Amino acid sequence: MTTTVNNSVFEHLHKQEDWLYSNVSELSNVSFDACKDVDVSVISKYDIATQNPLVVFVNGVFQENQSRLGDGLSINSDNLGEVYCRSNSQIPRGESDRLSITSNQHKTIHILQIISGNNPVAVFGNVYVHACQGETISIAETHIAITNQDHLFMPCTEILAEKDSCVTIVRSIRGSKSAYHLGGLHVTQHAASKVQTHTITLGGKRVRNEVYAYLDGENCESNFDGMYMLGKDQLVDNHLRVEHNEPNCDSREFYKGVLDENAKSVFTGRIYVKEDAQQTDAKQTNQNILLSDDAQATSRPQLEIYADDVACTHGATTGEIDDEAMLYLQTRGIPADAARTLLIYAFLNESLDELADDAFRSVLVDELLTNLPGGEFIQSLYL
Amino acid sequence: MTTPLLKITDLHASVEGTEILKGVNLTVMPGEVHSIMGPNGSGKSTLSSVIAGHEAYEVTNGSIKFNGIDLLELEADQRACVGVFLAFQYPIEIPGVSTKFFLKAAVNAIRKYRGQDELDAMDFLDLVEDKAKSVNLNVDLLDRNVNQGFSGGEKKRAEVFQMALLDPLLGVLDETDSGLDIDALKIVAEGVNKLRSPERGFVVITHYQRLLDYIVPDFVHVLMDGKIVKSGDKSLALVLEEQGYKAFEPCGCSCNCG
Repeated sequence: MTTTVNNSVFEHLHKQEDWLYSNVSELSNVSFDACKDVDVSVISKYDIATQNPLVVFVNGVFQENQSRLGDGLSINSDNLGEVYCRSNSQIPRGESDRLSITSNQHKTIHILQIISGNNPVAVFGNVYVHACQGETISIAETHIAITNQDHLFMPCTEILAEKDSCVTIVRSIRGSKSAYHLGGLHVTQHAASKVQTHTITLGGKRVRNEVYAYLDGENCESNFDGMYMLGKDQLVDNHLRVEHNEPNCDSREFYKGVLDENAKSVFTGRIYVKEDAQQTDAKQTNQNILLSDDAQATSRPQLEIYADDVACTHGATTGEIDDEAMLYLQTRGIPADAARTLLIYAFLNESLDELADDAFRSVLVDELLTNLPGGEFIQSLYL
Repeated sequence: MTTPLLKITDLHASVEGTEILKGVNLTVMPGEVHSIMGPNGSGKSTLSSVIAGHEAYEVTNGSIKFNGIDLLELEADQRACVGVFLAFQYPIEIPGVSTKFFLKAAVNAIRKYRGQDELDAMDFLDLVEDKAKSVNLNVDLLDRNVNQGFSGGEKKRAEVFQMALLDPLLGVLDETDSGLDIDALKIVAEGVNKLRSPERGFVVITHYQRLLDYIVPDFVHVLMDGKIVKSGDKSLALVLEEQGYKAFEPCGCSCNCG
């Protein structure tokens, strides 16, 4: 099931304010193929949590034999999200096999999306998550493009978190450094719900991660986090819009990354506070470390506030390694190069530290270390 | 004659063009504990930073010899490898790296420099447990990120533990007593006292006499305005406690009595 994509949509995107720094016009020249032969032999390699439910898609096609479904997981059921429709996302939405997740899911559900083929393919991925009142759902999405074609993956995950529910989703983008990834997370929260998203970008050539969140009930808690470690010719564009539509909600955006060679990052975080949404507490932070003179980080924190009793802050730092921390490590005998590597690792790993699930975390740390210059030194420290 | 462990001669150092140390002389023999006392801004922490190799401080004159080696020729990490340890007044927090992980890097870097085989995970953990026990440190603390969320006392105890683990010849303690209550102070001092040996020397930098009740020094030096203005035995600390630093201020006359 490979959808025909109207390429022309990509040609002019970067002429719009919202896409200013992410030029994907090359995509308008790619002829995408239908992918006929799907190689399922690679799947087991990425099945990193064999005790957990697993849902596998290859090029948007559900792989029943490789998946482990459980209660509350269904494919192509009638459930359809409406959250996407609220956003003004320019990323096209198209057909693919569709996963719906409902009811309590205390074991992290692993959704594995593999994009492969010897010719460029354009693939959609559709996931709908519905946590009813008081339910808890935990999800890990792994998006991997295999082979170095101009593959294009457009995953769209919609989350509806009802009153008092709790949804955690960790999305990691791995694999090929020449694939395109234009993804969206669309979130609606009802009163006193908690949603946490974590978007980790370690692969891809042009990666756009959109988060659209609507806090429609009081006392919501929202954490939208991101981490990236990119190198030669890679770009990540994290684009968020968080709407505080009701009073007394807390939201946090915390994105941090390291850029080597000529890698680029863009962070746009728009916090919108409706006029009645008093006592909003919203914070957005973007921290970058540049390892090369050619690396570039663009931060665009934006606040749009119509209420008068709110606490909204934003901060962005782009810098190098802290001198005091360097000295501390060196006074313990660690040479400067190794100390710098250790501090970069620490900076990124802090973002992974909070991931509850060991299996997923260790895979991400391993992948991080293969991207990180000097990562083998860090591996030698494992206990 | 025994080579001094540390010999500082006419040391001048500046930070951002301002001279802080204005001719410090200090000789520490193996096994000795020297205390440097002085008021705020006298240059105490600068002295420890310069010994450790902080790049922000520029040495404009003088020398520091460690076991006969020119310390100023070495980078901070090389100074640690030859046997200098600085216990920080404010140990740095490093979120994202566990203390054990960090210390494995340190121990093996030093072993490599000294031409010893690097320790594998098993031997390293044995060493850590052994040293933690010796300074009464709860090993669980070492699974946490470096100094992150540690109490003031835990940070200072972790510094003393690191000193025990890295086994230096010279320990420089920069205001290790600051921010400690009396119980924490005793534990930290006990840890330091266990590390005293005929080969190892200490420079204990402190603002207050209190610490010296527990780490009893062989010599006390008073640092004022970048110079050592008075040296004596431990009784000097008591004089300071009674009379304050004011008694040691230069009298302003030209008789060179200060």
